[in-house]
Amino acid sequence: MASSYPPPFEGTGEVKEGFLCPLCLKDLQSFYQLQEHYEEEHSGDDRHVRGQLKSLVQKAKKAKDKLLKRDGEDKPETGSYESFYYGGVDPYMWEPQELGATRNHMDFFKKHRAARIDHYVIEVNKLIIRLEKVRTLAQTTADNHKLFSVVAWVSDTDVPFCPDCGNKFNLRNRRHHCRLCGSIMCRKCMEFVPLPLAYKLTSGTREARSVTGSQSQSPPTGGGGNVSGMGSRRGSISSLSSVTSMLEEKDDERIRCCLHCMDTLMKRQQKLEEKDHVPDIVKLYERLRLCMDKVDERAPEYIRMAESLNAGETTYNLDTAGGLRMEVQKYYELIDALSKKILTLGMKEEPQPHQKTLQLQRMVRYTATLFVQEKLLGLMSLPTKDKYEDLKEKRKQEQEKRLTQERLVAQKRRQDSEKNRPAASTNGEAPQAPRAPRMTKAGGWLPSSDTLHTCGELEDPLLQQIDNIQSFLRQAKAAQRHDEVAMLEENLRQLQDEYDQQQTSLAIALSQRLAQEESLQQDELQRLEDRERGEREHRAQSQAPGSQATYTWQGSLNLTDTGSLHGEEEGEEEVTPKAESSPLSMRAFPALTDQDEESPPRLRRLGGDVTPPGGEGQNSSSLNPFEEEDSTPVEDPSNPFFEEIQKEHKEVANGKKEYNPFEQEEGGEEEQGQAEGATGNPFEVKEENNEGNPFKEASGCTPPGASTNPFEGEDEEAMPDVDVIEEDLLLQQIDNIRAYIFDAKLNGRLDEVELLSENLRELQRTLQEQKSKTH
Amino acid sequence: MNVTLAVKQYISKMIENSGPGMKVLLMDKETTSIVSVVYTQSEILQKEVYLFERIDSQSRDNMKHLKAICFLRPTKENVENLIQELRRPKYSVYFIYFSNVISKSEIKALAEADEQEVVAEVQEFYGDFIAVNPHLFSLNLSGVARGRSWEPTLLPRTTQGLTSVLLALKKCPMIRYQLSSDMAKRLGESVKQIITKEYELFDFRKTEVPPLLLIMDRSDDAITPLLNQWTYQAMVHELLGLNNNRIDLSRVPGISKELKEVVLSAENDEFYANNLYLNFGEIGTNIKNLMEDFQKKKPKEQQKLESISDMKAFVDNYPQFKKMSGTVSKHVTVVGELSRLVSERHLMEVSEVEQELACQNDHSSASQNVRRLLQNPRVSELDAVRLVMLYALRYERHSSSILPSLMEELNRKGVSERHRRMVTSMVEYGGKRVRGSDLINPQDAVAITKQFFKGLKGVENVYTQHAPLLQETLDQLIKGRLKDSQFPYLGPSSLRDRPQDIIVFVIGGATYEEALAVYNLNRTMPGVRIVLGGTTIHNTKSFLEEVTLTAGAGQAERVQRAGGHPNRR
Repeated sequence: MASSYPPPFEGTGEVKEGFLCPLCLKDLQSFYQLQEHYEEEHSGDDRHVRGQLKSLVQKAKKAKDKLLKRDGEDKPETGSYESFYYGGVDPYMWEPQELGATRNHMDFFKKHRAARIDHYVIEVNKLIIRLEKVRTLAQTTADNHKLFSVVAWVSDTDVPFCPDCGNKFNLRNRRHHCRLCGSIMCRKCMEFVPLPLAYKLTSGTREARSVTGSQSQSPPTGGGGNVSGMGSRRGSISSLSSVTSMLEEKDDERIRCCLHCMDTLMKRQQKLEEKDHVPDIVKLYERLRLCMDKVDERAPEYIRMAESLNAGETTYNLDTAGGLRMEVQKYYELIDALSKKILTLGMKEEPQPHQKTLQLQRMVRYTATLFVQEKLLGLMSLPTKDKYEDLKEKRKQEQEKRLTQERLVAQKRRQDSEKNRPAASTNGEAPQAPRAPRMTKAGGWLPSSDTLHTCGELEDPLLQQIDNIQSFLRQAKAAQRHDEVAMLEENLRQLQDEYDQQQTSLAIALSQRLAQEESLQQDELQRLEDRERGEREHRAQSQAPGSQATYTWQGSLNLTDTGSLHGEEEGEEEVTPKAESSPLSMRAFPALTDQDEESPPRLRRLGGDVTPPGGEGQNSSSLNPFEEEDSTPVEDPSNPFFEEIQKEHKEVANGKKEYNPFEQEEGGEEEQGQAEGATGNPFEVKEENNEGNPFKEASGCTPPGASTNPFEGEDEEAMPDVDVIEEDLLLQQIDNIRAYIFDAKLNGRLDEVELLSENLRELQRTLQEQKSKTH
Repeated sequence: MNVTLAVKQYISKMIENSGPGMKVLLMDKETTSIVSVVYTQSEILQKEVYLFERIDSQSRDNMKHLKAICFLRPTKENVENLIQELRRPKYSVYFIYFSNVISKSEIKALAEADEQEVVAEVQEFYGDFIAVNPHLFSLNLSGVARGRSWEPTLLPRTTQGLTSVLLALKKCPMIRYQLSSDMAKRLGESVKQIITKEYELFDFRKTEVPPLLLIMDRSDDAITPLLNQWTYQAMVHELLGLNNNRIDLSRVPGISKELKEVVLSAENDEFYANNLYLNFGEIGTNIKNLMEDFQKKKPKEQQKLESISDMKAFVDNYPQFKKMSGTVSKHVTVVGELSRLVSERHLMEVSEVEQELACQNDHSSASQNVRRLLQNPRVSELDAVRLVMLYALRYERHSSSILPSLMEELNRKGVSERHRRMVTSMVEYGGKRVRGSDLINPQDAVAITKQFFKGLKGVENVYTQHAPLLQETLDQLIKGRLKDSQFPYLGPSSLRDRPQDIIVFVIGGATYEEALAVYNLNRTMPGVRIVLGGTTIHNTKSFLEEVTLTAGAGQAERVQRAGGHPNRR
């Protein structure tokens, strides 16, 4: 960047950070002065310089950041930190660079994890299923040896030492078997799963299993009528277990298992617990962020308003700004309150939260404080009403002064404008974007009068519509209805396109009829202008604030032949009416200031009649949204929560909707199911084919009635034992094959996996067939 | 080429990747320094990172509502810790970033530990260095040499650090190394090896002129780190010790609690950014201005903000005011302490003699001055030793060397045996025998005339006459005059054009004086960008320790390093 500076300025004492006017090289003290100077002296000059100024300003700003925020009055100083005049570049100013190299290992990671997860999931599922079996057995029989049927116990003779602690087994130190995996451990290394926990862990799987899996779990002799056994269990299990546990504290009320199985179960339990649990801090924090986002959204708007108002501009309404300020301040209070709440979360509870939790809370609070400090204290104050009047007055005078100057310039330009028209219009494109925000401020200050609306006769209904929409747009904007603004803008664009098209066809027709299209348009234009002038004069007389009226009149005079010409006649191709009030005048007068930008007659009229009601509306409406929003965050988090609770209640009442073990497992581990098509499929198939239908019917009915209610699917399932055993075998076979698949997959024998999964599918099909046969 | 920005971008990308919500940053000891140098706490808090934890810390609680961003060096311990972490995840999701290349087998081990599927991201983000300034990085490694060769564990570590800089800046450079140093060659080869091995990573968009990596050895210029410094940053490091841009002020008499440790970061301290390369005198003036400015903005307490407009004005200025008051009190304290030390230790006088030793060629006056200062009881032990060291290096082969009598003088002064032995170590480390460049007596005609003219012009500032050898070397490099016989290319190809992007790496540590020289080169040389790096950044104390470690190879008692300078290894 430094190379673009003219060498003669190297090291000259008075030059400060390049606040030079790009046109006359006059040295100005600060950015603001430079801007002012530029607008005063060179406003009529070529457009392109603007771009240069822009970049220059950016450079200067950068440099200014390096300075200690000095203002224009300070003496220019030759600090040795002026770093970019030497030819090289200060490392602090090196151009931005892209992100350094990175390498992603996630695919590789996922590949290996997926294999592992399959294994893990199967392990867990196996444990859960066994737990369920053991649990039900423990309730129905006191005979320990029945438990053999769940899992084969390791033979005592094979294990002379406890595998966990290494102690020798003898008469005193007896062997114990894990009921879940059959392994042996000593008393010390033994763990117990309390029945309530077992119940909880298996609750998800029970329903699913009770439909099809029950056949395999219940011993063939256990109950010939599966349906009735199942039904009673479903209804009474919880009460039964609680009663028995109260009655007697037997060893059987807990399920003996080894450390490893316990570990896996505990992990699962933890996961289940965490799944639905949203800690308070998260809820509060979400609300806090919501408020912060709102502030981030609103504060810049307010600052823009306040700046404009403090400068005596009339684009915004003082009350609106006041309202917005109130709103933003409310948010700050909310942020403060919320963060305080977070800070003190759990402080009163007896076991004090972990120090890290406390630290987290402190940090959140600290951040909120920083946020408030930074943003709130950056909120400038608004002028008082009286002061604002003064400011307005002052500004008006300034504007008038400038206006007279500009008129002179404009007159000169007018003569050239006919020749330069195309050039001017192309040049005008550039500033459109940066100037746009100011345009939106436009109409606000103009005197109110509804009469204008009636006498604002635009012959074209389309134009009227456009006007209407524009006024709505402005109101919407003032009221912060962003979505509506977008909609209206879209509307407006369409209308204007339409209008443009109409105008084009009109122009074509005209050009066909009349050879000298240009002159005719000129005439028409003249007519329009005259009419408007008349109108304005009329208005000026009828209106009280004389100075303003004259001013507006002058504004429109300046523009009618250039601005409106471009806008209305020639605009067919060029006016691509962007969002708000089309920057017509901008095209004609590159460097004109606010009043001129807003001066196209159409807009003017529009601004005049629209804003005042808008202003009032803003007041109320700007408060309203806040109140809404203020209350919503309070309700929002609680509402869904309530719903959830209710849902849960419902679910409980309905007898547990989500009971499928596979579904749950897959819900938890998401990708795994999809990533591993082979294993995922059987799961899904199984769910859908085997259990889906009966369940749907079952869930419709109330659980207690299940045993008695003969609903088709299940009723017919009550089949001779032979079939049941066959299914049993099938299911076991399926289990086996699945295990093989995992094994094969772990060892990377992919072809085998394919074969096996094919096998599996076949088995499942036969199972299916068998079932349908039984029906 | 901005190393600070490179690390910052990496970190903000990590945070960005993890989406909204409360986050915890899990780091190891080294990455903690890497992050803390480029980001302040409040900056990172704004990105919703509320906790900073060490992966090896045992006191972490289960916090399933937090997302964890892990930024770790790919060391064995870290991977092991991470595996343990994933087995029992404490947070809901893990975004894992390694600061360097990690092996496939380790990723596999991690993947197998992730049974609960909590890992959402595993990436390599090459921020494996301490970005001190935009053009200056350090690896915080000391004692890299054993005799004249690498301490075995530190060569791979240095290679990792250096390659990560290359990757972060997206440079695949040609390599030149200092011929006289075997270590430089080894490092160059090691870096080259990595580039060849990880060719996919180093496949960047080709620039017209390929970037250049210049590897140098500290032993070529042992004088620079022995000099007292007078520019702000260098002086702070020399007298107070800058560690990851932090100074420990706890030994300052009467220090207030919040100033016990202060951060000097050019990133968010405007005053520091503007003054870090200015000399002590200028800083004094600027501090005065800062104070006056501050006084102006400070609400007058007598007035007690009577009118509402007073209060308004105060509140409007408050954020600025608050920020400024922090800055003011910090810098006033630091500068105050510096000037206290300067007068206490007679540093002006000492430095004058140091500079004379380093830059002039008048043996008799130099020896007189050194002797005179040694006899001054207020000259500290460290300063006395460094004067003798400078003398020993400078007039190593002088016919009428008075080194023995100076050593005698040191003894009489009561300088410890350890320090006296260091003089010999220093000569062994950086004496003429090992030097490959003309540190002291320029041989070729151009350089001699240059020195002659310099002598004629007179010195602008007695205390800052010395220019580090690095400056001359880089100057020659940029002008294409650096001799291949001194700095050969690694590999067959060599650079034909003027180099544009240069990364200089000093084995054995760079200094802030050199950082300043590189900074000035960057500013004055159009089209050239230079980044300086070192195994560490030295002040005299840390340099003496480095030399002791190198020369003694462990037998000499280790110098207790004051000021908590860069962690070992």
